[in-house]
Amino acid sequence: MKNQYNQSRRRFMQLLALGMTWSVGGLFKPRFSQASSTLISKPIPSSNERIPVIGLGSSRTFNVGDDPVALDNVAKVMQHFFNAGGRMIDSSPMYGSSQPAIGYGLNKLAKTKDVFAADKVWTWDADMGTEQMEQSRQYWNVDGFDLMQVHNLVEWEHHLETLYDMKRQGKIRYVGITTSHGRRHDELEDIMKTEPLDFVQFSYNIVDREAERRLLTLAKKRGIAVIINRPFQRGDLIDELEGNPLPKWAKDIDCKNWPQFLLKFVVSHPAVTCAIPATSQVEHVKENMAACYGSLPDKAMRTRMIDYVEKVI
Amino acid sequence: MDEMASYRLSDFILFSQATYFRQFELYNQAIWPLHLVAIIFSCVIIFALWKKPAWAGRIIASLLVVSWCWVAWAFLYERFYQIHVVANWYALGFILQAGLLTWYGVIKNRLNTLVTSQSKTVIGSGLLFITFILYPLIPFMSGRSWLQFEMFTLAPDPTVLATLAILFIYKSPKMLYVVPIIWVLISGVTLLIM
Repeated sequence: MKNQYNQSRRRFMQLLALGMTWSVGGLFKPRFSQASSTLISKPIPSSNERIPVIGLGSSRTFNVGDDPVALDNVAKVMQHFFNAGGRMIDSSPMYGSSQPAIGYGLNKLAKTKDVFAADKVWTWDADMGTEQMEQSRQYWNVDGFDLMQVHNLVEWEHHLETLYDMKRQGKIRYVGITTSHGRRHDELEDIMKTEPLDFVQFSYNIVDREAERRLLTLAKKRGIAVIINRPFQRGDLIDELEGNPLPKWAKDIDCKNWPQFLLKFVVSHPAVTCAIPATSQVEHVKENMAACYGSLPDKAMRTRMIDYVEKVI
Repeated sequence: MDEMASYRLSDFILFSQATYFRQFELYNQAIWPLHLVAIIFSCVIIFALWKKPAWAGRIIASLLVVSWCWVAWAFLYERFYQIHVVANWYALGFILQAGLLTWYGVIKNRLNTLVTSQSKTVIGSGLLFITFILYPLIPFMSGRSWLQFEMFTLAPDPTVLATLAILFIYKSPKMLYVVPIIWVLISGVTLLIM
């Protein structure tokens, strides 16, 4: 009898232990495959609103015309982006049919209220700006844009005035200006010094660090949020690095592949608010969004990352 | 407009190669069975060049005018413009060429004398053969979906190449070369850098 009791007791304890292991394991099981389930976000200095450090660009990748197969693929990419905690999607009238494609995706996923909608005004005709932005809003299927930026400094004096007005009227929440490919940094710097911008967007990546010298420092000093485009140099950087092994210490910053390595370098700069890699592939958006989790490199690690990349390229 | 100077050509190629070729697939599916008309156009041109009737130059010019106008509207403006922000300008260029062909080829009948140069005739005939026979086979030969084929009268590149072939075969006003040559450069660079 005592033996039976002991056996039952042992069996009970085994089941209890098994149950506890399962529960605790389930509790700490990461929501995604990332090293940590805490999404890395940074504040927009002008409002302190936090946004995830990885956004989604749409240049080239979402410009698919009215192709129904490709539109569904865009929606799938956006779905994985949102599922992984992403919020900011960036586009421009310059990107062909990207805006209607985003609208299609938002509508299909019922995410028109959740997205952090960032778009641009891109016209040399100052009077056409308002009309163009309204057209963009209709393409996106959103009530309004969170962020509206002057694209590539085109007619920026006129467009910024219009954007400040729109912000005052509550039609947009943030005002920004963009450039890319390292173009016209001198002029951008002057604008950043004098205009009350919420956001600025330019190119920056591990091999093209010209922005570190002045723009990033200035943005930090002036309290301007920074969006980084071309973090992979439109994929060229990944192509160059793909044949090389990731350094073993990459796991210390929770990087499993080159895209994560490159993105973590970019978003770990103290002045950078987020990066907006573009992709048309679900696997890539998953890889990119994984850079939104785990730890970010510190200053010493960033130097190590630069040294390694410069050695292998 | 100094901002324009800061752009490179590649900045305006904001679509992928797959998206570009997929446009032809969707276009071909949408306009079927107009391909039969395009084949008839090609046959009429070959017949006119072979039999050399008095009306040959005028009828060939007329078919080219229809082709340039159709490509401008149906492909460049209606389809390509969706993914390429400057394709509306391309469409205007094609309409301009249609106007020039109407003026010189149809109204003034300037495409009425065949060239005497054998080399020009050979180049022109060879180009025509490539355009009518080989060009539609390129997707199939390069492993893409065969539905992405491009045909004279319906797609820009083969229409431009066929026009250049005709200009080589006939003594043609130099003015008629301008738009086709510009297009060859634009299309060549696009295919190279996208």
